[in-house]
Amino acid sequence: MIWILFVLIFWGAMWAVNVRLAAGPQTQLTKILVPTLFGITLLVLWEGLVRGFSISPILLPPPSMIAQRFATSLPILWEDFVQTFIKGALSGYFIGCSAAFLTAIAVDRSDFLKRGLLPIGNFVAALPIIGMAPILVMWFGFDWQSKAAVVVIMVFFPMLVNTVAGLNAKDKFQDDLMKTYAASYWQNLLKLKLPAAMPFIFNGLKICTTLALIGAIVAEFFGSPIRGMGFRISTEVGRLSLDMVWAEITVAALAGSAFYGTMALIEKAVTFWHPSQRN
Amino acid sequence: MTRLASFWHKAGPVLCILLVLIAVWYGAAVALNAAWAKDKAARAGTELTFSELVSDTMSQEKPLLPAPHQVAQEIYKTTVLKKITSKRSLIWHGWITLSATLLGFVFGTALGVLLAVGIVHSRAMDMSVMPWVITSQTIPILAVAPMVIVVLNAVGVSGLLPKAIISMYLSFFPVVVGMVKGLRAPDHMQLDQMRTWNASNNTTFWKLRLPSSMPYFFASLKIAIAASLVGAIVGELPTGAVAGLGARLLAGSYYGQTIQIWSALICAAVLAAALVALIGVIERATLKRMGMQQ
Amino acid sequence: MKNLIKGAIASAFLFGASAAQAADDVTLQLKWVTQAQFAGYYVALDKGFYEEEGLNVTIKPGGPDIAPAQVIAGGGADVVLDWMPSALASREKGLDLVNIAQPFKSSGMMLTCRKDAGVETPADFADKTLGVWFFGNEYPFLSWMNKLGLKTDGSDGGVTVLKQGFNVDPILQGQAACVSTMTYNEYWQIIDAGLTPEELVVFKYEDEGVSTLEDGMYVLGENLKDEAFKDKMVRFVRASMKGWKYAEENPDEAADIVLDNDASGAQTEKHQRRMMSEVAKLTAGSNGALDVADYERTVQSLLEGGSDPVITKAPEGAWTHEITDAALN
Repeated sequence: MIWILFVLIFWGAMWAVNVRLAAGPQTQLTKILVPTLFGITLLVLWEGLVRGFSISPILLPPPSMIAQRFATSLPILWEDFVQTFIKGALSGYFIGCSAAFLTAIAVDRSDFLKRGLLPIGNFVAALPIIGMAPILVMWFGFDWQSKAAVVVIMVFFPMLVNTVAGLNAKDKFQDDLMKTYAASYWQNLLKLKLPAAMPFIFNGLKICTTLALIGAIVAEFFGSPIRGMGFRISTEVGRLSLDMVWAEITVAALAGSAFYGTMALIEKAVTFWHPSQRN
Repeated sequence: MTRLASFWHKAGPVLCILLVLIAVWYGAAVALNAAWAKDKAARAGTELTFSELVSDTMSQEKPLLPAPHQVAQEIYKTTVLKKITSKRSLIWHGWITLSATLLGFVFGTALGVLLAVGIVHSRAMDMSVMPWVITSQTIPILAVAPMVIVVLNAVGVSGLLPKAIISMYLSFFPVVVGMVKGLRAPDHMQLDQMRTWNASNNTTFWKLRLPSSMPYFFASLKIAIAASLVGAIVGELPTGAVAGLGARLLAGSYYGQTIQIWSALICAAVLAAALVALIGVIERATLKRMGMQQ
Repeated sequence: MKNLIKGAIASAFLFGASAAQAADDVTLQLKWVTQAQFAGYYVALDKGFYEEEGLNVTIKPGGPDIAPAQVIAGGGADVVLDWMPSALASREKGLDLVNIAQPFKSSGMMLTCRKDAGVETPADFADKTLGVWFFGNEYPFLSWMNKLGLKTDGSDGGVTVLKQGFNVDPILQGQAACVSTMTYNEYWQIIDAGLTPEELVVFKYEDEGVSTLEDGMYVLGENLKDEAFKDKMVRFVRASMKGWKYAEENPDEAADIVLDNDASGAQTEKHQRRMMSEVAKLTAGSNGALDVADYERTVQSLLEGGSDPVITKAPEGAWTHEITDAALN
């Protein structure tokens, strides 16, 4: 009971601090401090509730236990990270997103392709990837190649749909203006369409970061060598080492957030002119 | 006549590309299944002629890639020829998945919009919640799904709801991201204009921010409903593969029944396409009424 | 929505009815999807053996992501079916699982290899790729490899381990020299896929002297302190064993009952009937009571794990004859 009471008070106090900080002047420090405090609050909430209701660590281990496991199994976590994230997710992400980008430009150029490919693209985008995973594992073998293939398919269509939507985002006025300048197709593409499409493209790129990681991990459930984050998660659940499972999830969350953050930073640099960035 | 022409204008290219895809599919089926056919023939000590090889690749019981007509036959068999209430009917399984999908989609959209409104209006929330919303999506849902179901079971929730919660978890994210962007889409000129009219925050929200977020909103909804379907299917795996399209996929994968996997997959895709199309229709109608479509 | 309401009303009535008869609810968590491996329980349910004992039994199918031990820890089941190695490993994690009955006398686990991959004897495993199930099912394999002195980390002279998915594709496609199979299930999937028994070599864990006990009934130790629960389990075990013996004598009927209970509609009659006849060979010779000698052998093989044993010390109180003694008299 004391734990729960403590958790509630802690929560209230932290929220009050955050509101004060957010209302104050914006500095680099508050920008980092506010989400960090919120995160700490969540962790304390979790720890307190697990202890307060004495939940079995087989169901949900407290963060302190996960942190301990994390610290003692760094080499394994690193090996899994390389296998799943660097080899599987990243390579698939680059191949998938660039292929989708080029396809989108081709599709945008040809009215025939746009009318023919987009409905099919939307159809395939809706294919639940979880079903493709066992098939791709069958085709590409057990190592990271099949995981990259899953990621390629998973990110291709969201990226395609976003990019095509972006290439259509220009104003009619702007389009007419380009026409009066007698701009060529490439000039029109580079100077008007692509810049106007950037917010959409980055929207796609950001959504795809999380998809890529999930795809690579999920694909490992359908057969894998004996390393990788998905392998570790599915095996350790069976062994009831939930602390190890959550340590892997932590790695996934850290890697995913860093990946997303990188994309967001690039977006900021590229689309500084867009209203959503100026706020 | 013009109606027919406009139909062909729309459907012609799709059909064209579809035909190309089916041809590629047949080609791939022959290429991928040939190895097994040859392997079998070699072990039996016979040689295959080309036509024998092709016909064998089209009719294997557990092919690496089933030919389109095999999948079509299976779908016909499990939708039209079976009673809807039968456990072997894909329509029955599809319905189970659909109900969890829709429930999760409604939850997810509501949660996503609420979070987005909070984020746009409260600085504290924007700064503290947004990074964690993104982090939440980096948690591999398939790893969490069995735990979610076990933990919810422990508190007495079972059946449709755990699946819907997993759907919600996947579908709220695109809505948050899209809506935050959409609600912030009005530029300075428009916001200044509202200010010169002395509009309250509330009025600005209803008259400017919300309307201008609509294109973003619908774009997000399309992603969200597809994500929601994925969530429902993923949620069906750890419920013990009892029923639903996810269970069919899993059982098919477990027994190496590729034809069954593909037919469940196609059904899921048709379902998703129908749902996305439905949102597209609503989108067009809404945007037209709002005068936002060019 | 309508169905939901109907269901709610129906369950309300059912609840009222069962309360009137005072039938005791028992939830059983299976280790895997609905198939003839669990025929005894489905037969007992379908033939009314549970009802005769005044039990209202719910059978929950398992699947690749379901750890029965986790389900019972979360209160999602009263009894779970598990393999002894994983149950004993769970005990070391602090979950007090107790074996109350052991309907499977022999192990059905084996390693099936292709002759053309160059495997004739266990000595040929070195430098080959072997498919293994994980999720708590890897323990028998690991202790066998340890006995053979083969490393499983992929180093030279050892074996390369592949986490096998839910099917036998790796051996069909030549990605692995051997895959894990059960006598009653995956082996026949390989045969169905077109390989003949002459092209295969099988190594039964039973024959290699490394077999461990499979499908046993496990409950939480703390529940066994409750007399009412104990009484419920006595009746449950009695009815289940009656179901198993009936299934052994009427394999085809039992397989059909399993098919009727398969909600995924993915099982075929041919496969289930064959599975039932194979499963009957494994349950034969067990009256439900755990054979202590088998238990000791399992523990011994798990303890001999070299640097990384499955369990570190001999467990105490991991089984009881209390239930079966009362049930089978």
